[in-house]
Amino acid sequence: MKQKEPMLFINGWRFLTIGFLIHLWIIGESTNGSFILILLLLIVTSLRWRFALPIWFVLVDVFICFLFTPHTNISYYALALPIFELALKGKWLLSLLIFISLFFAQAASSLLFWFYLQTFFFGVFSFISLKNQVVYRQEADEQRKARYELERMKIDLLEANQSASHQAKLMERNRIASELHDHLGHDLTGASLALQAYEYIQDSREAEKLLQEVKNRLKRSTKNLRDTVHNMTPTTWMGIESLENIAHYFQQLDINLQKSGDMQAVSAHQWGLLEACLKEALTNVARHSNATIVEVDLQVTESIVRLLIQDNGSVEKNSHTGSGLRSLQIRSRSMGGSLSINRKNGFLLVCVIPLEKGG
Amino acid sequence: MRVLSTVKFTVLRMARNYIVLLLLLVIPIILITIFSFILSESVTETGVPYHYQNALTMVLVFQLFAGAIVMYLIDHDLFKENRMRIYTLPFNQRMYAFSIMICGAGYSILLGVLLMIYTQFVLGIIWANWAWMIYIISLMAILSIIVCLIFTFSVKKYKIAERLSELYGVGFVVLAGLFFPMPENIFFDFFGTYGNPLTLSIMSINEMGQSNTGKAWFQANILLVAIVLLFIVMLNLGRRRKL
Amino acid sequence: MTIFRFALKRVFGNTTNLIFLTIFPIACIFLPKGEGWPFLPYGYQYFGILILFIGIRLATIILEDRGKGVVKRLAVAPVSHFQYLSQNLLAYSVILILQCAIVVYGGILFGQELYQPSRLFLLFVSFCFASLAIALAWISFYRRKDTSFLLYMSLIFLIVVLGGLIIPIEIFPDLLKRIAVIFPTYWLAEGLNWIVFGENILDFLLINSVLWLYTIVCIIIGSTRKIY
Repeated sequence: MKQKEPMLFINGWRFLTIGFLIHLWIIGESTNGSFILILLLLIVTSLRWRFALPIWFVLVDVFICFLFTPHTNISYYALALPIFELALKGKWLLSLLIFISLFFAQAASSLLFWFYLQTFFFGVFSFISLKNQVVYRQEADEQRKARYELERMKIDLLEANQSASHQAKLMERNRIASELHDHLGHDLTGASLALQAYEYIQDSREAEKLLQEVKNRLKRSTKNLRDTVHNMTPTTWMGIESLENIAHYFQQLDINLQKSGDMQAVSAHQWGLLEACLKEALTNVARHSNATIVEVDLQVTESIVRLLIQDNGSVEKNSHTGSGLRSLQIRSRSMGGSLSINRKNGFLLVCVIPLEKGG
Repeated sequence: MRVLSTVKFTVLRMARNYIVLLLLLVIPIILITIFSFILSESVTETGVPYHYQNALTMVLVFQLFAGAIVMYLIDHDLFKENRMRIYTLPFNQRMYAFSIMICGAGYSILLGVLLMIYTQFVLGIIWANWAWMIYIISLMAILSIIVCLIFTFSVKKYKIAERLSELYGVGFVVLAGLFFPMPENIFFDFFGTYGNPLTLSIMSINEMGQSNTGKAWFQANILLVAIVLLFIVMLNLGRRRKL
Repeated sequence: MTIFRFALKRVFGNTTNLIFLTIFPIACIFLPKGEGWPFLPYGYQYFGILILFIGIRLATIILEDRGKGVVKRLAVAPVSHFQYLSQNLLAYSVILILQCAIVVYGGILFGQELYQPSRLFLLFVSFCFASLAIALAWISFYRRKDTSFLLYMSLIFLIVVLGGLIIPIEIFPDLLKRIAVIFPTYWLAEGLNWIVFGENILDFLLINSVLWLYTIVCIIIGSTRKIY
């Protein structure tokens, strides 16, 4: 469809040339019979307009012109049509061959030469622009393809990220389980067995010793438990704490953070997105907005988590979504959620992510 | 007088109907120009260049088709698409119809005057008596509007009414003998002279040009009487159609 | 040939069309003979105009089809566009040829002086095809039937005047005489003159072949399939 535009001008030139020939006929002295030449050329031209004719069809034009050369001078002018068609197909040498007819034309052959020459030039120009168009179109197609591939890859990476975090969580659970088993399990089991044995022992000294053993074991396992918990508690902020932390250390303006619901239901990669949303929104506020108060509301229900960030600033109506927000939109979409932005009264960002059932 | 507020829109609707503008203004301009080129060398017996007569005929011939736009608007507003809307409006529908008629008459008179201006200033045709010419043009326009409305009111299918109005236009041109001479008998003689609005108006203008005021008034008055009579017919038909 | 049959039925099924198609040609027979010009009776001089009008009236049926979506439905039916177009055109040309026959042979019966009736008939047939093709090319630029018809009507007035059918070409200025050749109506007028005065059969063949060339050009332009 894109090829239509140069074709329009090419067809325009063809029909304009026919108009020129008609004008020549009117101002000339030719007989009515030679008007047939123009009609025949009109037929060939309209055929070219309707169908893509093969290059050898130019021979028909040349033949028609040749037939009428004894009768009228117009046929020499009409040879411009085959010159143009040949040049249009890139057969420049062949089209220059038609210039030979200049030596046979009786009248105004110098004018005719210039007419042929400019026809030839327009033919070459059309050839080049048609060719360029094909190249441009190919290039545009390739670009588009590359862009689609990039987008595809981005989505794949985000999905991989999500599954990796899921895997990490499972492995961590596994590690905690084995840690508990290794360090606490033996001692607690031992203590429990010793207590059961204690009921059956009559000898008080023996019992005293056993009780001491139980005490030691419990003491050791309490220490172990404390150590394990201490070892496993991450030193970075996580989950809601991280959000609170961000809000706390953001000093430019007041941030009013409210939360409701069970924060534990939200998984780690989801926290990652929520954190990124809050950061992006606050950065935007700090950079572009004149807002003084930011309301942040985090709601976790049974099936979704919703983060709402609203400021009281005034934004220009036509400001468009930046790349940061766009990538967040893609990330939230990859988690099956959505992120929407409204600029009517201040800046409002709402991010909704569905929660995974059963962890 | 609420009808007055609709006049503006009636005029706009007429002016925006490009087809009518093309048929009643552009085509006559082209035809008059071509004819004046073709006939520029020939002169009638009285010594007046032949294309004067031709331009006069053309200006009047196209007045025969002046009713088309009024017919279309009346049919559209009072009988077809807009019927229910117009009938719910708080104004007198009869007055509205009259306002369309008057606008249409004004419009085609304006087109006629534009043609006269064009022929005078571009083609150099001298109109002897502008006032009389405009008077006759107005009579022709009103007559053809009334005739077209009679067709609209009396025929059920609008398409047929349209064809009849075209027949009225072309028919009187043919009867006037502009295409080919009519056979000689009482019927054709009558419709070639006093029974034909086109020839009546042409004769009247020619008489005025030769300062035969009495004859000119007589012929114009025939047209006027025809208008009055047909107007009464139209009123009756129109009232019945509305019920 | 189903489409052909139904195209014929459709044209004759409409009363207005039937009147238009029969009354006017018959009226043409009875028009008087001119003094000096035209050389044939008026009815035969003006029959060309009538052919142009009938051509556009028939061709607008195709335009109607396009508007109503018939062409779209045909595109999915096992009927090619070529079949649809050729059979329709064939039906229309049959109607036009019948009218030519009525006018020419009716004129002989009525006693008009037609010089060479069979050649006149041939000339009219050639012009019929040209008229149909021009109308076909014309409607290919339009969507609305009324607009195309009204504009074509104005065009007919122009080419009829400039082609020398209404006014003899001899009184034209020189430039207009040359320009007139562009219009198919000029060739019809020439042909009518040849019927009266012509001797060289080659001239008659030339006139007919020009009309046929016009037909081919316009068919090529007008045969594009347009689906809205």
